[in-house]
Amino acid sequence: MVDAADQQRTPTSRDPSHDFCVAAMSLLHATWLPAIRTPTSSGRPALLVWADTWRVATPAGPGATPALHPFTLEPEDLRVWLHEKDLLPDGIIDATACLTLPSRALKAKTKGKPSQNESTTEEIIESNWTGLPLQAGEPIPKKCEWWPWQVQGLAVEPAAATTWLSKLPLSGHNSDLGEELRWWSHLQRWALSVIARGRWLPQVELSKGEGYPHRARWVPLLNREDDRRRLEELAARLPLVATCALPWREPTGKRSNRITRLRPEAMRAANPVASCRPRSGRLRVATLLEELVDAQLRQGFESNVEDLDPLLASWQKALGSESGVITLPNEEVERLATASSHWREGVAGTVAPARACLELFTPTEGEDLWELRFALQAEADPTLKVPAATAWAAGSQIMQLGEIRVEHPGEVLLEGLGRALTVFEPIERGLDNATPNSMRLTPAEAFVLVRTASSQLRDVGVGVELPPTLSGGLASRLGLAIKAELSEASRGFTLGESLNWSWELMIGGVTLTLKELERLAGKRSPLVLHKGAWIELRPNDLKNAERFCTNNPEISLDDALRLTATEGDTVMKLPVHSFEAGPRLQGVLEQYHQQKAPDPLPAPEGFTGQLRPYQERGLGWLAFLHRFDQGACLADDMGLGKTIQLLAFLQHLKTEKELKRPVLLIAPTSVLTNWKREALAFTPELKVCEHYGPRRPSTTSELKQSLKNVDLILTSYGLMQRDSELLETIDWQGVVIDEAQAIKNPNAKQSQATRDISRPGKSNRFRIALTGTPVENRVSELWALMDFLNPRVLGKEDFFHQRYRLPIERYGDISSLKDLKSRVSPFLLRRLKTDKAIITDLPEKVELSEWVGLSKEQQSIYRKTVEDTLDAIARAPRGQRHGKVLGLLTRLKQICNHPALALKEETVQEGFMARSAKLQRLEEILEEVIDAGDRALLFTQFAEWGHLLQAYLQQRWRFEVPFLHGSTTKAERQAMVDRFQEDPRGPQIFLLSLKAGGIGLNLTRASHVFHIDRWWNPAVENQATDRAYRIGQENRVMVHKFITSGSVEEKIDQMIREKSRLAEDIIGSGEDWLGSLGVSELRELVALQDN
Amino acid sequence: MTNSSTNNSEITTALSNEGLKDQPWWVEQWMELINSYRFKKRLERAWTYAREGNVTSIRFEGRRVHARVQGTGEDPYKVKLWLDVLNDEDWRYVLEALTQKARWSAQLLAGIMPADIERAFAASGRRLFPFKLQEVRSECNCPDKANPCKHISAIYFLMGDRFSEDPFVLFQLRGRSRSKLLEDLAEQRREALAAMAKAAESKSDSAKNSNINQVSPAQPHPAVIEPSLWWKYEGNLNADLVVITPAMEGDSGLDSAGDLPLAEEPKFPEARQIFLNHLHEQRINLAQQAMLQAMAAGE
Repeated sequence: MVDAADQQRTPTSRDPSHDFCVAAMSLLHATWLPAIRTPTSSGRPALLVWADTWRVATPAGPGATPALHPFTLEPEDLRVWLHEKDLLPDGIIDATACLTLPSRALKAKTKGKPSQNESTTEEIIESNWTGLPLQAGEPIPKKCEWWPWQVQGLAVEPAAATTWLSKLPLSGHNSDLGEELRWWSHLQRWALSVIARGRWLPQVELSKGEGYPHRARWVPLLNREDDRRRLEELAARLPLVATCALPWREPTGKRSNRITRLRPEAMRAANPVASCRPRSGRLRVATLLEELVDAQLRQGFESNVEDLDPLLASWQKALGSESGVITLPNEEVERLATASSHWREGVAGTVAPARACLELFTPTEGEDLWELRFALQAEADPTLKVPAATAWAAGSQIMQLGEIRVEHPGEVLLEGLGRALTVFEPIERGLDNATPNSMRLTPAEAFVLVRTASSQLRDVGVGVELPPTLSGGLASRLGLAIKAELSEASRGFTLGESLNWSWELMIGGVTLTLKELERLAGKRSPLVLHKGAWIELRPNDLKNAERFCTNNPEISLDDALRLTATEGDTVMKLPVHSFEAGPRLQGVLEQYHQQKAPDPLPAPEGFTGQLRPYQERGLGWLAFLHRFDQGACLADDMGLGKTIQLLAFLQHLKTEKELKRPVLLIAPTSVLTNWKREALAFTPELKVCEHYGPRRPSTTSELKQSLKNVDLILTSYGLMQRDSELLETIDWQGVVIDEAQAIKNPNAKQSQATRDISRPGKSNRFRIALTGTPVENRVSELWALMDFLNPRVLGKEDFFHQRYRLPIERYGDISSLKDLKSRVSPFLLRRLKTDKAIITDLPEKVELSEWVGLSKEQQSIYRKTVEDTLDAIARAPRGQRHGKVLGLLTRLKQICNHPALALKEETVQEGFMARSAKLQRLEEILEEVIDAGDRALLFTQFAEWGHLLQAYLQQRWRFEVPFLHGSTTKAERQAMVDRFQEDPRGPQIFLLSLKAGGIGLNLTRASHVFHIDRWWNPAVENQATDRAYRIGQENRVMVHKFITSGSVEEKIDQMIREKSRLAEDIIGSGEDWLGSLGVSELRELVALQDN
Repeated sequence: MTNSSTNNSEITTALSNEGLKDQPWWVEQWMELINSYRFKKRLERAWTYAREGNVTSIRFEGRRVHARVQGTGEDPYKVKLWLDVLNDEDWRYVLEALTQKARWSAQLLAGIMPADIERAFAASGRRLFPFKLQEVRSECNCPDKANPCKHISAIYFLMGDRFSEDPFVLFQLRGRSRSKLLEDLAEQRREALAAMAKAAESKSDSAKNSNINQVSPAQPHPAVIEPSLWWKYEGNLNADLVVITPAMEGDSGLDSAGDLPLAEEPKFPEARQIFLNHLHEQRINLAQQAMLQAMAAGE
């Protein structure tokens, strides 16, 4: 069996040089192994750490033992990988456990090659089921079954496991870590909180049966409201892989060839119907928490048995010992168990799906007494409630609360009422009959309940529902109800402008005047009836209200934006409960908070192109924030046309005669060419120039001279920093940064210089940032960006670090993140190509021209090649000319790709990237693709380039980049394609040669296609593109075509576009025409042009 | 040992440093029972005996208390104590009475011995607690003919404290374990309800709530329908767990639980307090370690 399994696990043949990739595509998991007694151990629990990875495997079924999980990383590889990631736990042994996993049924391939599979045939016949376990993230097949698998991994003993779990990230997605590890890290953090708050008691756990010892245990107390909520949260979200171990374990220690049979009942339990009942989640999570708390307290506890009697001494010793085993006579241990359990019972009951609930109702008119009703409430969903009468009536039957089943509802309710008595005595009166449903409370008792007892009741595990106006929280405190509108003359364009506004005091949702408040306060009763609602008055309410009234402050549009952005914001320390904006103000607010799509602005006159509907909205949004003098970050997904929207915006300013001074645009060198091209194509009226190259102006006067009549000047980040003093002398109308992630590091000189230049000069300066990265999710990068756009919003860097970055990045603090997002969101617009609204606006294939230049080295080789070869061609005999011309074109295209290709270099040397402008740009775009989790196909017509690129990309990203080319075998091809299409963590980049990969393959998982070099025939390119694209496909495919500006590639592009006769000749009748070209025509075609 | 047996004018104070006021009512009642006993001298000797640790074990087994007391002989004497068991008839009255007030069931379920429990037993004309020491039956295999002998009396002194470990043991001695009692109570309540429902039905047949108890079959786990839930977790860290804080003064589990209800070992009168004090000290250390670990997370 073991031999057979080993055969199954043999990975596909792989290039040994790719060893680093083996684990890089794996995903780490953790599953709790409950205590199982084996001959060598007394049943210690452990955390199994394991990883799945992609392999080709033969379907298998459970035979005498569960089949070996074919996709798990071997323990040795796992150790190496974890060590590399600095995640290797202490206290580990190799282990194999049996886990229930969703599996896909597959027929075993026994017919084809019976001889090879002889050893496994027997097993396969024995079980009637064969298949493969599913991996996380794999598409779910229609029919999914649950089967036990032997999973190899590392067993971490509990104390070491808690240390290890504490080190895992608390937030964010990590491509190496299964999502359930985040669940584990949250559970461990809860365990730490339980220990920090001392919410535990030591207990004695009696033996579970023969062979199990009596043990001293540390148990968490889950009576507090917040802990109970947390239990529900974690139980509702429990990823089942965390607890899917079955009672089967191979003898620990060295792996042996012993076969351990899975017990029949466990085998049956692997069936989902038996193994996962909803009720178990809460209990399972409570048990896991107990394990983690126990392990940590046990490890940290130092026992001191001095002056203790033997009973307490052994208990204490056992509490601090690793195994927890108590060695005392049975009767003594039982005594300890009873006493300690009675001790705990006084604080916390058992974990149940429902709890008792007390509902307070206000007195009916003319009455004095309040009604308190008893009810049963679901723990998982407090809105699920039934009156006590229903619980009494259920008797011994199971009661249904929504989808939740409650056993013994009457007992659950009574136990809760018993606990309620310990903190809120008045209810004793209400429990005088056999099946009480409700009782009456005096006003004083009701007040005690509202003010103090409700939280104490919740802490003993009893739900309390108060009337809405008293239900606590901010809303039942004194606050303001505000109505506001823009003043009549205002257009709502300046932030400081005062609004017309009125306000009222408000408590618990009802408004009241100062006079009324005075009158109510005069009653000297904390709960008062006002306008038909009972509200609670607090001692300082009157004073605070008076203070506010005497001040009677003004509010500005700025205040309105702030008050409507976050809940619970205050004016002079009074919370704003309601904010009603007049229609005109509402319009401004909605637009500002992006509660509705921005109003579109049609393409301005002078813009020679078409704006898609979402681009018109983007333009409208840029114009909207510009009116407020607020910086804007347009963060649309790659390919949605940020460049076009920005150009349209500049043209809009120009058409409106608002563009009076030059605008500075800073971008990475690699995209400057693209900007120039796009501006030329779409906004020919804009006068664009470059501040670049050795001949750029070096003095203020020169610069001013060169800026005459110029609308837009382009420069690179590097030069902007170098020439910052010079550039700062100009009174820019605006500063635009492209690929704004370039300034993410706040302390980098480049970033500082960029932020400096965005500050207002003599007059205001608009700020716009463009980026394709999801900036709002990159907390660390937000500060510098916002400091560039609108410095006031996030304050100083130190403040930002303490207030947002630390809590969010370290602990995943969601409330800080929400606050941060609400602060920055008015200034960010990000649309994704997958947004429903965008998809309809986009064609199925979006073609993008990526214009790039040439590096110095490329230029000089290019020029030299042209000169040398043209001469040679001119001298060559007619018969050889054709071949020579073709050779020249090929060589030039190679130079455009990379000088190394033209120089026939075979390895990737240092500084490889810097030598090719095209490679630089390619890498930038791929970075975004990989970040976004997208997949890309890269086509080239040069196999040598493919090999170089493969080596480079693998070095750059440390993951495997498959390359499919002419000499790839059929089997290898299929493996590459399968993996790309099916492996949940498969390669994101797939390199293909245009000829070998251009037809017949189905690679629809890719949403980006790159044509690194151009081919004469667009049909060939389109065929290749269609590998990724299928009619009717939901995804949009972005097709990136690289064009080296001024080179032969641009000519080819031009020809394809213009469908010139020349191109038809080339496509139609082969390449004969080439030979007939005169030298001057040829020169025209290939010579490098400056532009 | 700080307390001496000479302090015998008020024997009961020797049982606890805090005095009787803080004792649960059953301990109090038990001590009153002993104090009402006429032969004070004999009790005093037994008290010393108990304090010196001669009682080696006390076990509650079913309806009996088995104890061993080391006497002058080589083997310890075997002592048995028991109460008169209530018969089924009596228990029926008790249960009926207990069902009258939901509070009694509520408290028993929450692990609290109701202070007025005797009122329920009064319904049967019986008592839960013995009224006189003579009601506590006993047997000792020592040669002393007197009953109670000093071995039995020594057990008396320790019994009260032992009730605190599990007050429901009193029910057991009267013939019903706590779990059996709760079960019976539930049954009794159901019968009462059924009777009430019947009465209501005969009055008016409109008050029918037939569909309340309809129980739908157990739903399969969501992951069975959506297998990707096997791995999926999209939760964020709960805001309360972002910063891990210690307990406020007096707010730990140990504080809420209070005294450990474990009978004192006479030879180690301070042991329980030392045990708890040590737990408290360790709690603070352990909390600090946990907070340090929490602070280092994500570094």
